[in-house]
Amino acid sequence: MFLDLTEEQKLIQGTARDFAKAELEPVAAALDQSDDRAPLMANLKKLAELGFMGLNVKEQYGGTEAGVVAFSLAITEIARACASTAVTLSVNNMVCEVIQAVGNEEQKVKYIPKICSGEYAAGGFGLTEPGAGSDPSGMGTQAVKDGDYFVINGSKVFITSAPYAGVFVVWAVTDKDAPKGKGISCFLIEGGTPGLIIGKEEKKMGQHASATNELIFDNCRVPASAMMGKLNDGFRIAVAELTGGRIGIGSLALGVGLAAMDYATKYSTERVQFGQKISNFQALQWMIADGYTELEASRLLLMSAAWRKENGKSFAKEASMAKLFATESANRACYSAMQMLGGYGYTQDYPIERFTRDARITAIYEGTSEIQRLIISREILRNFS
Amino acid sequence: MKLLVCIKQVPDMESRFKPDASGIWYNEADLAFRMNEYDEYAVEQAVQLREKLGEGSELTVLSIGPDRVVEAIKKALAMGCDNAVHVQDTAASAKDPWQIASIIAGYAKDKSFDVIFTGMQSQDRGSAQVGVTVAELLGVACTTTIVGFAYDNGVITAKRELEGGIKGAVTLNTPALVTCQLGLNVPRYPTLPNIMKAKKKEITAIPAADLTTSESLAATTSFHPPAKKGGGIVLEGDVGELVDKVIAILKDKTAVLR
Ligand SMILES: Cc1cc2nc3c(=O)[nH]c(=O)nc-3n(C[C@H](O)[C@H](O)[C@H](O)COP(=O)(O)OP(=O)(O)OC[C@H]3O[C@@H](n4cnc5c(N)ncnc54)[C@H](O)[C@@H]3O)c2cc1C
Repeated sequence: MFLDLTEEQKLIQGTARDFAKAELEPVAAALDQSDDRAPLMANLKKLAELGFMGLNVKEQYGGTEAGVVAFSLAITEIARACASTAVTLSVNNMVCEVIQAVGNEEQKVKYIPKICSGEYAAGGFGLTEPGAGSDPSGMGTQAVKDGDYFVINGSKVFITSAPYAGVFVVWAVTDKDAPKGKGISCFLIEGGTPGLIIGKEEKKMGQHASATNELIFDNCRVPASAMMGKLNDGFRIAVAELTGGRIGIGSLALGVGLAAMDYATKYSTERVQFGQKISNFQALQWMIADGYTELEASRLLLMSAAWRKENGKSFAKEASMAKLFATESANRACYSAMQMLGGYGYTQDYPIERFTRDARITAIYEGTSEIQRLIISREILRNFS
Repeated sequence: MKLLVCIKQVPDMESRFKPDASGIWYNEADLAFRMNEYDEYAVEQAVQLREKLGEGSELTVLSIGPDRVVEAIKKALAMGCDNAVHVQDTAASAKDPWQIASIIAGYAKDKSFDVIFTGMQSQDRGSAQVGVTVAELLGVACTTTIVGFAYDNGVITAKRELEGGIKGAVTLNTPALVTCQLGLNVPRYPTLPNIMKAKKKEITAIPAADLTTSESLAATTSFHPPAKKGGGIVLEGDVGELVDKVIAILKDKTAVLR
């Protein structure tokens, strides 16, 4: 049993930490409050140049080939400073990995390097629909074959990075008579393709700097070569890739949770009430103990899931456990952190209210906590029946 | 041209330090280590020169210490050094600046390096002696605390930081050694692909005992936290009085209001 990081993993964590502290932390609060995404775009470009967009992607496609553990470490460090930047990174990495896993050589060479290098600020993952959230196999967007083309009609919601994504991985029904989940295919569609309309941006509770938009397909024609993987085989791909993405979101949540606890713990050693530091009160000591214990358990779950994926072992159950526990722990950590700051924690003069808003969504996107429990129990029950 | 940069791995300075069992150095358990800040400026400057010189030049990074220093070496390799020397020494922290300089000089003496870069000082020991002592032992020119560096045709033009914000300009012929100060440059982040590629660069391991047998000249005898002082001065009174008191103190104890 070996629980230490390799030198390369430590150095990658170090680059992420130093970059986050120097470049992200100073702008995170302003990004949260303003509509101006220029600082986010500039930082995404720099992060791409440093190699953060394809951590688990092969060098020949412009990736870093650093593995899944390094990916998890990097997302956590970035999220400690700015969750919006971290989610963009997580989704970009996931999109690169889907293309690497199922794209043909031409598709890989055409798109992955553009995301890795920052030529595309982002890649989009277009799965969720108004009528198909937790149950994406119930989607209604259709792609109908028309000679050498597919014509796509329908709409997606909640698509991260849509206004600045250079390419989208999009799922659509290609055989509406097939049993559920069996008639879905996966397409690569470039931003700006006629008939692909970026719809309204959601006004969200948190992660403001990261855009979340509707995508509308209005007779959107794409060449048959835009299909990724086999016809009617797209749903399996979506499920497989979300499993990896969950490690990213769990890692993000861990970063936000740690940022909140670190801030609140330091505050508690400075704030004086009843003539003493509030950290002297056992009530706060228990919040500190519980918060850090849960976050440390989250870290170990994440490391285990990441290590399993990196080493070619099954990791679906572990990734779901890690996502479930890390995201819920992060939310509890933010709740405690705000409690420790009292009224000040509720104001925008302190970062805890932003952390709290940013953490909330992690228990919802890329599979809600309920869906994670469903996956975990299914995996476990399988061994008992 | 042959270039050498010497780096030290030091604890994160935000750590809590406590004495080790012998009471003569800090306890290393639980500390996070990183490259000495001043050495990052040295590596950056060395890499910039290496990039300017291009083909035919070679930049070696050297660090002395236990196995953990390989992480700092790999960072320097990822930043752009060509190859590395790890002088293996589990007792490096007990060696004085003279011994450390003797090790470096012992390695460098027959290698004819044209320029050697070191940090101005280490963040943990802070002696600021290693660089100059290496230069003396090798018999090469040396200048310290540089905040500007240019090289052209065998001549280094360095800007030095003096007291009170004054700068000095120095030119020196190579071979030479410079010690680097904050403000010299902004060290690059090692990119992730370069971190991965650094794995393939050569790190030569040499036991410290092969390079020097010199004895310590200035042994550290004790490591301890400063005695607890009183809690400073707490002023009381209304705002007008407080301002008068503060001004009086500033006039009396500092130079700001003179
Ligand atoms: C900011 C943001 C960014 C997002 N980014 C993307 C993106 O880039 N790409 C993308 O494709 N999607 C994205 N999503 C969508 C996200 O993944 C979905 O919102 C999520 O999967 C939940 O779907 P839903 O919102 O339709 O909720 P629903 O599925 O309607 O769920 C409602 C409630 O019912 C529960 N529930 C549903 N089914 C079950 C069940 N079987 N058992 C128990 N409980 C159940 C859920 O857990 C939840 O509590 C994003 C969402 C947000 C808010």
